[in-house]
Amino acid sequence: MSTVTATPPTTTSPASRSHRPAKRPSWLRRSWDRHWYAWAMVAPVVVVLSVLIIYPLVRGVFLSFTNLTEANQLAEICTKSITGSESCKANPEAWHMVGFDNYVDVLSGKVGQFWQWLGVTLIWTIGCVVFHYTIGLGLAVMLNRPMWGRGVYRVLLILPWAVPAFVSAFAWKFMFNEKFGLFNALLTKVGLDPVEWFSDWKTSLLTAILTNIWLGVPFMMVALLGGMQTIPTEQYEAAEIDGASPWQRFVSITLPGLRSVSMTVILLGTIWTFNMFPVIFLVTQGQPAGQTEILVTGSFRAAFEGIRNYSLASTYGVLILSILLVFSVFYRRMLRKQGEVW
Amino acid sequence: MSETGTSTLREATIHRMPSAAVRNNRPRSKRKPLASLGLHGTLVLASLIAIFPIVWVLAASFKPKEWIQSTELTLVKEPTLANYDYVLTQTNFPSWVFNSVLVAACTMFFGILMSATAGYALSRFNFPGRRQLMLVFLVTQMFPVAILIVPIYQIMATFGLINTHASLIIAYLTIAVPFCAWMLKGYFDSIPTSLDEAASIDGCGPFMTFWKVIMPLARPGIAVTAFYTFLTAWGELAYASAFIQTDDRFTLSYGMRQFVPQFNPQWEYLTAAAVLVTVPAAVVFLYVQRHLVSGLTAGGTKG
Amino acid sequence: MRRTARGIAVVATAVLALAAAACGKDTPEAPKNNPADLKADLTWWDTSDPANEGPAFKELIAKFNTTYPNVKINYQSVPFGEAQNKFKTAAAAKSGAPDILRAEVAWVPEFASLGYLYNLDGSALLADESDFFPTPMSSNKFDGKTFGVPQVTDSLALLYNKKIFTDAGIAEAPKTWADVKTAAAAIKAKTGKDGLFINPGGYFLLPFIYGEGGDLVDTAGKKIVVNSAENVAGIKVAQDLVKSGAAVKPPAADGYGTMMTLFKEQKVAMIINGPWEVNNVRSATTFGGIENLGIAPVPAGSKKAGAPVGGHNYVLYSGMSQDKAAAAVEFVKFMSSAESQAFLADKLGVLPTRKSAYEIASVKSNPIISAFGPVIATASARPWIPEGGQFFGPLDAMATETLIQGKDAKTSLDAVAQKYLNEVVKNYTLS
Repeated sequence: MSTVTATPPTTTSPASRSHRPAKRPSWLRRSWDRHWYAWAMVAPVVVVLSVLIIYPLVRGVFLSFTNLTEANQLAEICTKSITGSESCKANPEAWHMVGFDNYVDVLSGKVGQFWQWLGVTLIWTIGCVVFHYTIGLGLAVMLNRPMWGRGVYRVLLILPWAVPAFVSAFAWKFMFNEKFGLFNALLTKVGLDPVEWFSDWKTSLLTAILTNIWLGVPFMMVALLGGMQTIPTEQYEAAEIDGASPWQRFVSITLPGLRSVSMTVILLGTIWTFNMFPVIFLVTQGQPAGQTEILVTGSFRAAFEGIRNYSLASTYGVLILSILLVFSVFYRRMLRKQGEVW
Repeated sequence: MSETGTSTLREATIHRMPSAAVRNNRPRSKRKPLASLGLHGTLVLASLIAIFPIVWVLAASFKPKEWIQSTELTLVKEPTLANYDYVLTQTNFPSWVFNSVLVAACTMFFGILMSATAGYALSRFNFPGRRQLMLVFLVTQMFPVAILIVPIYQIMATFGLINTHASLIIAYLTIAVPFCAWMLKGYFDSIPTSLDEAASIDGCGPFMTFWKVIMPLARPGIAVTAFYTFLTAWGELAYASAFIQTDDRFTLSYGMRQFVPQFNPQWEYLTAAAVLVTVPAAVVFLYVQRHLVSGLTAGGTKG
Repeated sequence: MRRTARGIAVVATAVLALAAAACGKDTPEAPKNNPADLKADLTWWDTSDPANEGPAFKELIAKFNTTYPNVKINYQSVPFGEAQNKFKTAAAAKSGAPDILRAEVAWVPEFASLGYLYNLDGSALLADESDFFPTPMSSNKFDGKTFGVPQVTDSLALLYNKKIFTDAGIAEAPKTWADVKTAAAAIKAKTGKDGLFINPGGYFLLPFIYGEGGDLVDTAGKKIVVNSAENVAGIKVAQDLVKSGAAVKPPAADGYGTMMTLFKEQKVAMIINGPWEVNNVRSATTFGGIENLGIAPVPAGSKKAGAPVGGHNYVLYSGMSQDKAAAAVEFVKFMSSAESQAFLADKLGVLPTRKSAYEIASVKSNPIISAFGPVIATASARPWIPEGGQFFGPLDAMATETLIQGKDAKTSLDAVAQKYLNEVVKNYTLS
């Protein structure tokens, strides 16, 4: 063990691993000696995630090939009597494997409105993430400069984060209320017609997107502000001497310096927004008539109202996972061209 | 670009760590009046939008029930403190606050510990499984929580954790740690590896190097992720409503959710509670924001 | 959907023996001599409105404890909207479920079909079963067994503002939807206020469907009848009320809250709603007191006047240890007694489910309860099948489409029928 700790830690250069002297007992042993501390460092996370997420996820993939629901999950259903007896009878419709039936049902539109939900989800995700990032970045750049009242601005701008998100969602819903809301009152005041926000899916989705932009900007701003602290100030000063305009400095120093943070927040922001349940659920409630459901809310309603259909829920889960996985791989490829990402 | 006397300043900043004072005197901060007006104008507007719904919440919290949702739109109407009185004396609000602080603080502590170690390992060591692990972190965020809740409940039940705060802390770690590990890996990447090597020559093992050298340098990154972890746990609702069953163990957001059932929502109590939560949070933010953007930057240590 | 039912006949004796060994009690009924001998720690999930109704239930618990000092009731309010899923999740995991639950009528067949509830046949709770009204009682039956006892019952009624009616010169509550239209026109002309507000939700459109003699499904014939000619006619009546201006065009989101706000502020004269809002209207400072509230049966369609029965039942979780059964039975017996129901009726204006409760003086003299009397008498039972809760999602979408987006009633109902077939009752046929 002492010999191991004395070895300098390897750098991230992938080449360094293979260039080792040739006296090797076994691959496993060598790996362990070289990497045990790295593995020890990631072990706690891996354990928690494996037990809580990976296991249900793998089970979910399996369930998506069955017809398991709440009603048929047990091989027999027992009824306990208050008088002390218990009678059990075999469940005549116990669950079984169904192959790809669930996927066929969902993708063909027989069950639920997968394609409609997917379309709404894409608009929702792109709309939210683009504005989260651009607004967050703009505010972070402004707040990163020394100026009068900077602390106050920072607090006011991250304040939305302190209010539990569902409360803010309700507050926005109140302002969009068609009969009693502030926005329609203002429209009426300036002589315009009030808008029936939730009668049309476009305006309805707009209310949810606006709410979510408001909710998410503080997070982006703080993450990017943090990222800006890793950019050496000398770079800015050198650029200034070279006569670079603020815009040039932003493009040639700030953006590249934020690459790692930006990549993380955009990637995870996209994944989170794609799966963002509460805002749609609380603000539009899928109105009008389910037309603003995104994949997660739609599938939740389809699978979890009444007798819960676990196989159907899992099918949606696997489809969502696949879409996001494809997105991540493409995103990574795209960034790869500009250098090592992960 | 008024650039008089920059060269001496530049030399000064290159040769020592840039202190806050030096940064504040940089010529970059000298803006033309019009630019200054634009900057402050934009920020004032953004701040107004940011606090606007909160103002609505504040106004509503002082109104009697009837005037919150009303055909008559008012800012102040028959102001009363009764809502606050109810929340503070008739509900378990104080214990909800305590529970939330406890859960959020524990999530923050364990979350940072786990994600910083993992992030450091991901940044510095090219161990087998590294790239796969980063992908797995992403994958764990891809499966919708709404679908995971039932199986996670069953796992928690297996460990006997239903209706405990531990169940929440563990569940929140699964949300926060993957993101924080990714973020911190990025921060650690920006800290030169020469520092690790120097520490190693001085006889520090990898754990010691991480703890004594890298952690202090990654302070802004740690602050951001700590902030994020805390607030994730603070506002979370889905897991709390699934795992917690008795009133005295509710977290704040779940407790507040009780005020607004599907029918007959008590907006007056919800808004009063929201204000009671937001005001101290604002004070904490005012203090914390200095750390988010501290003078001592990771990049600055290069010199 | 392939339905290769795997008929593995599982002999239940092993499980039975195990369960019996675990419980180890053959006599669930405690000796009746001294109530103080009954000792248990029971958890009750109450789904009633915590602000309005919760305190009255807590008072009842205190009363119960004067007789049974050693039965501790852990009262926990659980929001109605999440209780169904929360209970099922906990029951399936065998951890965290309460001993006693206040379950909405449609939940009971569902929970019972999953084996989550105690069968109450043969217990003291059902000794005087005939005292309960048959319609609310019917929601507790599944597969020939009884799984709960009714706590409160409710149904939709026409709630109206007496003052606006007087101002508009309307002498009595409208009896048909056509009368409603006439009355709304008079109200608009004389007072400038709106006549009716229909909450655009599936449940609230059932009176229109029942009024034409329609229903959602035919459980005996296993048929989906939601897109029948009767239902189309019923929905068209509702559409016409909105189109003609007799009813306010409702917003697609928060229709219910909008309805209550407008009604409490006396901006709209009539709503279709249930007794659960009476306490709320009473406490609203803007409404002008309970004296201003008129209650009448829902208006009739071309066939009859009909409203769905709703309400809540007490059920016992089957994972509760048999040791506690005697105490739980005593508690539910107390809570559902005529005296307790009369107490709740008095305090909250909710409707008792026992015939004998209506004989108690305070209930007899209660104007709200007597106004709802005829409403309850004619309330229609809903299809009490485990899938019953899933009928309303598609119906809600239909309500928005027809009332707000002006979609054709037939097209919309056909879509609902298709959805029932594909997702809810897959073994039924379309009519």
